Amino acid sequence: MFAPKPLFAPALALALLAAAPAQAYSEAPSLDAEVKAGTLPPVDDRLPAKPRIVTVESVGTYGGDLRIGMSRARDTRMMTVYGYARLVGYDQDYNLVPDILESFESIDDKVFTLTLREGHKWSDGHPFTTEDFRYWWEDVANNEKLAPLGPPVLMKVDGEVAKVEIIDKRTIRYSWSKPNPFFLPAMAGPRPPFIYRPAHYMRQFHEAYADAEKLEAEVASQKMRGWAPLHNSRDNLYNFDNPELPTLQPWRNTIRPPAQQFVFVRNPYFHRVDQAGNQLPYIDRVLMNISDAKLIPAKAAAGEIDLQARNLFMSHYTFLKQGEKTEDFKMRLWETAQGAKVALFPNLHVNDPVWREVFRNRDFRHAMSVAINREEINEVVYYGLAQPSNNTVLPRSPLFEEEFQTLWTQYDPDLANTLLDGMGLDKRDSDGIRFLPDGRRMEIVVETAGEETEQTDVLELVHDAWFEVGVKIFTRPSQREVFRNRIFSGETQMSISAGVNNGIANADMSPSEFAPTDQVQYQWPKWGQHYQTDGQAGDAIDLPAAQELFDLFQEWQTATTKAQRTEIWKRVLEINAEETFTIGIVCCTKQPVVVSESLKNVPEKAVYAWDPGAQFGVYLPDTFYFDSATKP
Amino acid sequence: MSDQTTRGPNSSGDREPIPHFVSDAPFDPDVEVVLTEEQEKYYMASQWKLMWWKLKRHKIAVAAGFFLIFMYLVAAFAEFFAPYALQHRDVRHTFAPPQSIHLFHEGKLVGPFVYGYSAERDMETLQKIYTPDPAKVHRIRFFCSGGYRGADYEFWGLFKADFHLFCPSGTRQPVYLLGTDRLGRDMLSRIIYGARISLTIGLIGIVLSFALGIGIGGLAGFYGGWVDNVVQRIIEILKSFPRLPLWMALSASLPAKWSPIYIYFGITLILALLDWPSLARAVRSKLLSLREEDFAIAAQLMGASTKRIIGKHLVPSFASHLIASASLAIPEMILGETALSFLGLGLRPPVTSWGVLLNEAQNIQIVVLYPWLMAPMIPVILVILAFNFLGDGLRDAADPYK
Amino acid sequence: MLRYIAHRLILMIPTLLAVSAIVFIIIQLPPGDYLETLIAEMQSRGEAVDPNQIEALRQAYGLDKHPVEQYFSWLFGLLQGDFGWSFEHNRPVSELIGQRILLTFVVTFSTILFIWVVSFVIGTYVATRQYSVSDHVATLIGYLGLATPNFLLALVLMYLANQWFDTSIGGIMDDEYRNQPWSWGKAMSVLEHLWIPVIVIGTSGTAGMIRRLRANLLDELQKQYVVTGRAKGLHPRKLLWKYPLRMAINPFIADIGSILPEVISGSAVVAVVLNLDITGRMLLDALRAQDMYLAGSFLMFLALLVVIGTLLSDLALAALDPRIRLGGGSSR
Repeated sequence: MFAPKPLFAPALALALLAAAPAQAYSEAPSLDAEVKAGTLPPVDDRLPAKPRIVTVESVGTYGGDLRIGMSRARDTRMMTVYGYARLVGYDQDYNLVPDILESFESIDDKVFTLTLREGHKWSDGHPFTTEDFRYWWEDVANNEKLAPLGPPVLMKVDGEVAKVEIIDKRTIRYSWSKPNPFFLPAMAGPRPPFIYRPAHYMRQFHEAYADAEKLEAEVASQKMRGWAPLHNSRDNLYNFDNPELPTLQPWRNTIRPPAQQFVFVRNPYFHRVDQAGNQLPYIDRVLMNISDAKLIPAKAAAGEIDLQARNLFMSHYTFLKQGEKTEDFKMRLWETAQGAKVALFPNLHVNDPVWREVFRNRDFRHAMSVAINREEINEVVYYGLAQPSNNTVLPRSPLFEEEFQTLWTQYDPDLANTLLDGMGLDKRDSDGIRFLPDGRRMEIVVETAGEETEQTDVLELVHDAWFEVGVKIFTRPSQREVFRNRIFSGETQMSISAGVNNGIANADMSPSEFAPTDQVQYQWPKWGQHYQTDGQAGDAIDLPAAQELFDLFQEWQTATTKAQRTEIWKRVLEINAEETFTIGIVCCTKQPVVVSESLKNVPEKAVYAWDPGAQFGVYLPDTFYFDSATKP
Repeated sequence: MSDQTTRGPNSSGDREPIPHFVSDAPFDPDVEVVLTEEQEKYYMASQWKLMWWKLKRHKIAVAAGFFLIFMYLVAAFAEFFAPYALQHRDVRHTFAPPQSIHLFHEGKLVGPFVYGYSAERDMETLQKIYTPDPAKVHRIRFFCSGGYRGADYEFWGLFKADFHLFCPSGTRQPVYLLGTDRLGRDMLSRIIYGARISLTIGLIGIVLSFALGIGIGGLAGFYGGWVDNVVQRIIEILKSFPRLPLWMALSASLPAKWSPIYIYFGITLILALLDWPSLARAVRSKLLSLREEDFAIAAQLMGASTKRIIGKHLVPSFASHLIASASLAIPEMILGETALSFLGLGLRPPVTSWGVLLNEAQNIQIVVLYPWLMAPMIPVILVILAFNFLGDGLRDAADPYK
Repeated sequence: MLRYIAHRLILMIPTLLAVSAIVFIIIQLPPGDYLETLIAEMQSRGEAVDPNQIEALRQAYGLDKHPVEQYFSWLFGLLQGDFGWSFEHNRPVSELIGQRILLTFVVTFSTILFIWVVSFVIGTYVATRQYSVSDHVATLIGYLGLATPNFLLALVLMYLANQWFDTSIGGIMDDEYRNQPWSWGKAMSVLEHLWIPVIVIGTSGTAGMIRRLRANLLDELQKQYVVTGRAKGLHPRKLLWKYPLRMAINPFIADIGSILPEVISGSAVVAVVLNLDITGRMLLDALRAQDMYLAGSFLMFLALLVVIGTLLSDLALAALDPRIRLGGGSSR
């Protein structure tokens, strides 16, 4: 009997403790029934061994239905945006933090090692492992039938395809010989690239894994033209239109579209908990009601919605304020992130050679910019709540400098006249309109695709301002597709649209919006196209300032330190401000957000941006809860 | 009619005459019937005159007719009737409510005027609150010329002028009888300019529709046989389409790069395309019956060409019906344009028609906060009512022999 | 009678074929196709487009084939009950249409019922009191319904209903009943929302009916047998109901062929404004997005509805009016 007596009792106690079911985490009462019945494992088994711990402002209570409004059945994908379960996400200061991943490591942005959480499961209980990544890479992205154009652009650097190594069930490595600074920010975007799939579910639709007969039968019964379209139609982690597809988001869709109402129920295997150990999300269900976009403000004002920002604009402010008086919601004003709410884009590739000369002359762009009375536009169209500004980063961004915002934005029609006269465009006709060098009147057709009246309203005011300095404009509204195509082909002289998407960028984010990198940049579509198609289409850059921007963009991709990147960014912004390639008008408009009075943990002041931010995403809607004390 | 003594077969000799009445009015055996002057006029009147008399009896139709003539005059001289030019904006008075006209100010007769606004933006709701300010008296001038911003216009784009029916006294003394919209544009002026587009779309559409309807229906009715059959089938097919969805589909296919003028004509064409079947059907059935009439056969026997028979003899005999259907089809087109513009498939700003104006007002916000923006609804209703009453009157009058 | 029915049915076929061809041509008229529209939209939102999916879609759904080929494959599909694929909703079209048919029927049927009842009452009333004040007033009301642009009326009524009756904004029922099975509460909710579209669409249709009924009735009332009846001392009401009205009913049945398309197109606009879950809304979206199979199938469905409606009304008329059955013409 060799049992040291003094150690026996504590050892026994320890053993007993270890054996007892220690409930480290708490779960929603709505799941109690299932857990008791045994159809659902207890919460400790459902969560990964090390769930992500989110620090919430106030620990919430479980329960409730969150009603939100959308305008199209396709907007079920907004729940992926709002759910914001990402491999790597942004926190509220726009730093990259691991979310689904337990950790990640990046060596010079060339080698990325991703580590998953042990015990992390899909919404149907099946384990989430690197097998799901392998399935996507080998059986989807590199499968000729499913991806005729090969793996997505993100996985290639200068044409070099990523090297993918599976280290073990939890670790995977992607590497390139040159840096890929877009890789991680893309993961944190509103529409992430989804480099993984629920392999256990998707296999039944893949010809390499499924029983051939069963697959054929399924294809026939769905009236598809092959297994690839079937696979693609079921494979929509973003769209959320397949209720059977397992997901990692906090809520999952249970209604097959189309419908007028989609019901999203909690994902019992969601990987986040609050600091008190409660498994998130707090809210049991999200009810997405589809109605016409014009009715959504009415529904919000009638108290039929709990959380809404999409389809609400400042023009609805007064109306919503009225609704506040009788209904149980409050309207908050969040900041927007667009570099400019509206900006004018002279088309540097316009087919008309005379106008092309004029647009490429910096003095012209400066003149037209100072001819605009931004204060008046602010007052009339934006209730005076916006800020006159260039199309550049916002004050909130660490890269902001006042000069970038104000250069050439003062209202000075005399200066405009002087500049235009200096260009040799000093002859005017009886109406006061100037003549081009070839004798034609200076008349510009500005095209718009806006569906709200905002852009045509701004153009009315711009029309009057430019008339004063001798340039006449005509407004032409178009459908979006035609609008774009005309710009790309050079038929459009000038267009009006929103400014840069990401006005809150920091040095680690890509400056691509400020350099000729994309065809959809309306001021230089052909240079952008040239880059996107590797020189196959479009035109090579032939303006020194634009060339410098492009070179800086290339430099940024290979820069290694934050200091280097910051310097590159500043130079990029400086050039844009000096050249006035786009004529920004106002920035910093507000976004009305309707929030039910009993909904808590929703920030009072925040930034409403698509990328980065995923609109509500970074604020983690899974941490919102209904305070039953104040719930009506 | 005068009566004559009759001698029955059983009368014999000179018996006492049975008491009966014999009129001693002058009697001319060669004339069967003597007409009073009135009756003479009636029977000698042409078809059109008869129609006109019958129409005059229908008071409402006549009133409607005059109203419509007035509306078209307004549309033709829109620049004159509207106090402000179409593009005129007053950024200081956005979403201003309508001002009412007064005659007496502080007990004294001043002539027609409105009270100015004192405006203040409520910083909580961001709404500009306007209250009539009794200190500001803005007089209205009549038959005036210029003197304020927004007075100048180009009449039909041809020549410049600034003569108006009525105007404000100055730029700082605005007169907005129906209020302003979100850019501070005078609603009354916009509605008047909008009349030009909305009212003419109906007219042009009718012309197109008539051309198609009479042409095709005429051929079908006249030739009969297989021509008739084919046309009947086509008519049936077109009629079995629900109108609006087809309009929607056709409008969606109008190339968006067309300028507003082309789109305008495209829309009228589309509206007319679906309207001609009913007209064609009426023409056809009328022709089928009239074809057998004596006068038509007579013309044929005399060797008149088909075109002449249809054009000079048959069509005028039911021209009245055509006019009646026209006046009932025009409002359909006006409503059609309104609906299409409302759906965003018809005309779009900066073209101004009543449909476009209503599109801008289609918002619960407007209903609640700025209801005067729905004012274009009123002329639409009135014009359509007028056309319908006139059409009814014309139709009743079209068959004067009834 | 059977011959008549058979004759009509056979005539329907070429009509529908021609309709399908026209519909297809119209859908194809706008330049580009669905995928181009989709890409434009996504890019304008700053979303990255997955070119793989697009390319796969294009190949799989034959958007790269010749339009004539596309037409015939669609047509053959139609005949087999395969209405094509909706790109916008990523579903077979048949699933989408099916759900909406029930509600479309409900709204259309209620509206026609409304039109009948209202125009019957008013039409009879005014025919017997020609040119009186009430005649003019009733006519005026009828025309007002016709003249008012119904989308604005729908909006105003919806707002008023919300203010006075607490009816929820838009939709055919309250949000909470959306995915629930049918119950008393759900049915009540539908009725609560139904009256707005019915009144809005119905009022435009009543004017025409009133006019027709009034004209017919007036014609009948002047006929010999009515005069005889009155001379013989028949009670006026019985006189009215037993004979002339039965004759005048004809247009009610006969004119379904013209009322039906009116109601359907009226409902399309109203459906957009009021956010009703019926065909109109979806059609508009499909046309805008160039979701061609969905739009084409909808138009076909609507045209078919009208053709069948006309057929039924002609049959009913034939049943009612022996003169048609026996080969003669009808009174109108």
